[in-house]
Amino acid sequence: MGGCACATLLPSALFLGERNALAIAAAEKLDLPAKLKLAGIAIDTAKAGGASYADFRLCRYQTEYLECREHRLEESSAGVSAGFAVRVLLDGTWGYASSPLATEDEVRRVAARALEVAKASQPLQTRKFVLEDLPVYNDSWDMPMKADPFVVPSDEKIARMLAATEAALKAGANYATLSFAFVREEKFFASSSGSRIQQTRVRCMPDGEVTVVDEATGRFSSRASLAAPRGSGYDYILGYDFAGEFAKAAEQAHEKLKAKPVTPGKYDLVLDPTNLWLTIHESVGHPTELDRALGWEANFAGTTFCTPDKLGKLQYGSKLMNIVADRSQEGGLSTVGYDDDGVRAIGSEFHIIEDGVFKNYQMAIGQAQLIGQPRSNGCAFADSWDSFPIQRMPNVSLQPNPKPCSLDDLIGDVKHGIYIIGNNSWSIDQQRHNFQFSGQLFYEIRHGKLGPMLRDVAYQGSTVEFWNSLDGLGDKSTYFLGGAPNCGKGQPEQTAPVSHGAVPGLFRGVNVLNTERKDLS
Amino acid sequence: MILGRDDAQALTKKILALSKADSCCVSISGTEERYLRYAQNMATTAGSPSSLGITVESHFGMRTGSATGSDTDDDSLAALVAQSEQIAKLAPENPEFMPPIGPRKYVTGTGFSPATQAATSDMLAAAVKPVLQQAEAKSIQASGFVDIGTSFSSFGNSAGLFVYDQQSEVLHTVTVRTPDGTGSGWAGATHCDFSKIDIAGMGASAVDKAVRSQKPVRLDPGKYQVILDPSCVFDLMSWMISYFDQRSADEGRSFATKKGGGSRLGEQLFGKNVTLYSDPNDPLVPGTIYSDDGLPAQKQMWIEKGVLKNLQCSRYWAKKMKLNAVPSPTSLTLAGGTATTGDLIKQVKRGLLITRFWYIREVDPQTVLLTGLTRDGVFLIEDGAISKPVCNFRFNESPVAMLNKVVAMGPSVRAYGEESVGLPVAVPQLLVDDFTLSSVSDAV
Repeated sequence: MGGCACATLLPSALFLGERNALAIAAAEKLDLPAKLKLAGIAIDTAKAGGASYADFRLCRYQTEYLECREHRLEESSAGVSAGFAVRVLLDGTWGYASSPLATEDEVRRVAARALEVAKASQPLQTRKFVLEDLPVYNDSWDMPMKADPFVVPSDEKIARMLAATEAALKAGANYATLSFAFVREEKFFASSSGSRIQQTRVRCMPDGEVTVVDEATGRFSSRASLAAPRGSGYDYILGYDFAGEFAKAAEQAHEKLKAKPVTPGKYDLVLDPTNLWLTIHESVGHPTELDRALGWEANFAGTTFCTPDKLGKLQYGSKLMNIVADRSQEGGLSTVGYDDDGVRAIGSEFHIIEDGVFKNYQMAIGQAQLIGQPRSNGCAFADSWDSFPIQRMPNVSLQPNPKPCSLDDLIGDVKHGIYIIGNNSWSIDQQRHNFQFSGQLFYEIRHGKLGPMLRDVAYQGSTVEFWNSLDGLGDKSTYFLGGAPNCGKGQPEQTAPVSHGAVPGLFRGVNVLNTERKDLS
Repeated sequence: MILGRDDAQALTKKILALSKADSCCVSISGTEERYLRYAQNMATTAGSPSSLGITVESHFGMRTGSATGSDTDDDSLAALVAQSEQIAKLAPENPEFMPPIGPRKYVTGTGFSPATQAATSDMLAAAVKPVLQQAEAKSIQASGFVDIGTSFSSFGNSAGLFVYDQQSEVLHTVTVRTPDGTGSGWAGATHCDFSKIDIAGMGASAVDKAVRSQKPVRLDPGKYQVILDPSCVFDLMSWMISYFDQRSADEGRSFATKKGGGSRLGEQLFGKNVTLYSDPNDPLVPGTIYSDDGLPAQKQMWIEKGVLKNLQCSRYWAKKMKLNAVPSPTSLTLAGGTATTGDLIKQVKRGLLITRFWYIREVDPQTVLLTGLTRDGVFLIEDGAISKPVCNFRFNESPVAMLNKVVAMGPSVRAYGEESVGLPVAVPQLLVDDFTLSSVSDAV
């Protein structure tokens, strides 16, 4: 049984207390006995209709979104999205239906609709889905946090945001935006196997950018905030110096306007973890998803070069490369007790890449036996009450160098290279070979020392060649947890939040482009 | 969950009656969907989701707050209104606040199809079956997705405006891959009417491309004359329209910014053969009948014979700059020509036929430089005929620049690509000079 999350009380405004009381009252409309009763109706209806397996998910998402621009608040909104879904496996065919209306009659109707949908697809089911036996859990899990963002007054948040945008303007920016988005995700899961699981977690997602304009040349330049989205309480926001970062970003955006255009060619790259986390996401996280390897994403997200015959054999990267999947990392956007198939996720870390060798896929239920594995490793996720759970990424992180190594040590080992901070412009092919990434800030490295700022830098590579060029890695003192709130996959498309821990990496001989198009300027 | 016009209007009135704010806006929307997903020649998932959302925006003076929920009982509606009012009261004044607009006249919507609303899961499975049969007959693998949906949306406010619209959409996409892993073909289309979409025909097209794209040869990257299928043009136009913003141009951070200040409205920024517009009653791509703040969607020219005619402009920015407000488009059409695919191919001495793009992202907002990749079928054209399949490429190109290099075009058709911004889009197949392909991809 997970511990209950206790929010640190922050200064609260009277009105806000009232507002949040309303929101919380809405969120707690159904108590546990009511949820259990609805789950029983759904599962009984599914079983009576012939389903060999059924599950019921009732979810409620509480959201708050605030956006500031220059000196003003542009948007302040709150929301609750709630509903339930019934998923059935009928003679090896999946069926699924959902509704925002959580009443007993509607649960019966939706369960019957899920059976009807499954029955309709059966003529196309040339291979039946078979589910592994899974342990049964009766549990609850709440994300530990110090400060619940939904009890923090909006005026505290707005003041913090305006302090940042105004700091940027004071430091010479023409424009500055900063938004804070908060989500409280409450999920109740029940399966015909007997599991009954309640979970609550929270996400804090800051996003901002500073822009400077040179009217004489008609050029402009932006520097996005390096603040990562986190599965954390408001304590994360309190611990981040947005005003300091935005003032510095304004100076850096000015510097970018005057920076030297990069000369294209091969460079040794030192990738800051604020940049490398996204490269990990695209070139390691996605290729090692089993549903892609099985061809189930061929029509949208794509397949992968990382086919099952390469499991345990492919030298994916150099021996410095260790990538671990977890759902327990503090602050991780994928951190959760149980996945959306009801598989225990916390505490079941596994290596995807070990000493450079491809070791494990990420899996949801019904997949493992297709590659001779016993069971799912807890990587299912549905982004809403009305979405079908599919395989999504846990936190996928590059492990630090066990030997002492600082960022300066890495830079000191480069004769002719570039140090890249932050991410910007990312794209990779549908089998995850060819990628192109850019960044927020680029600095020349000459003979082991950082030089002047460069501009118009993007690096291109091919995944296995790139990771085998890894020749240096920061130690745990350089670790940074990046992440994305909106990774897209599946049809209908779902967006998943996922974190990636990283340390700075030194990659030898990477192809760098100059992205300026003089013919377009 | 679909509410009819009368139910949506009654719910809007009920919410407005609860409001104690100076002014109030109510947006309601809902969907009913059925979908079937298949891969490796079999069904993988199928579903029938339903949703409903109610957003209340309250204003006190220049303070604004909004709250969204999905419950329609009296207590929940009262809580929703109270929550939006409390948020508004706590918000600082927004100097850019614009009061709600009064009643407007709207065109009659043409994007709803009873045939789509009546379609069942059995009908989806029956429609997909021939696709799987074609693939099995050739021992190749088909994966795809068919999704049919009905949606409604309404917008009402305390100034007396109420507008309601209902839309239908059918989407089918299919990817076919050859067992040797060297060939892949794709087809995809949308329509508002389920009875008008040729799912089996799309399957046949994807099978044909997959077979013809097997064992591609590797060509050097560089600048090529290319024929872009409508799916590719859809992706580029969907990206480009988001840069058509008056405020960004006036603020100096847009491709449409004039050196020294101001926007480039009225300038010949594109080729004379380029016309881009929106029309909510375009028979190919009927759009929603209203846009931002309840403003009517109407025929709107963006580019006319290569001249930049309009940029999206909010009511606030229009007032400040003494311009007309230009709401966001609800559909998009790039006017086409008359050339067939065969006509276009005959004009190419050495170039490429590109059938699909993938994973497009911005590289430089100043020039609308984008990067992305080709996928599921690229073919070399030599001396006016397709000669062989070639490996995929990464491109680094700007649609703004590309629209200055259009040599010829086919008729505009309703298209679909992965970079959809939620608008129905009609575009032609284009023959374009000097398209920049920056590297080769090994992906198939």
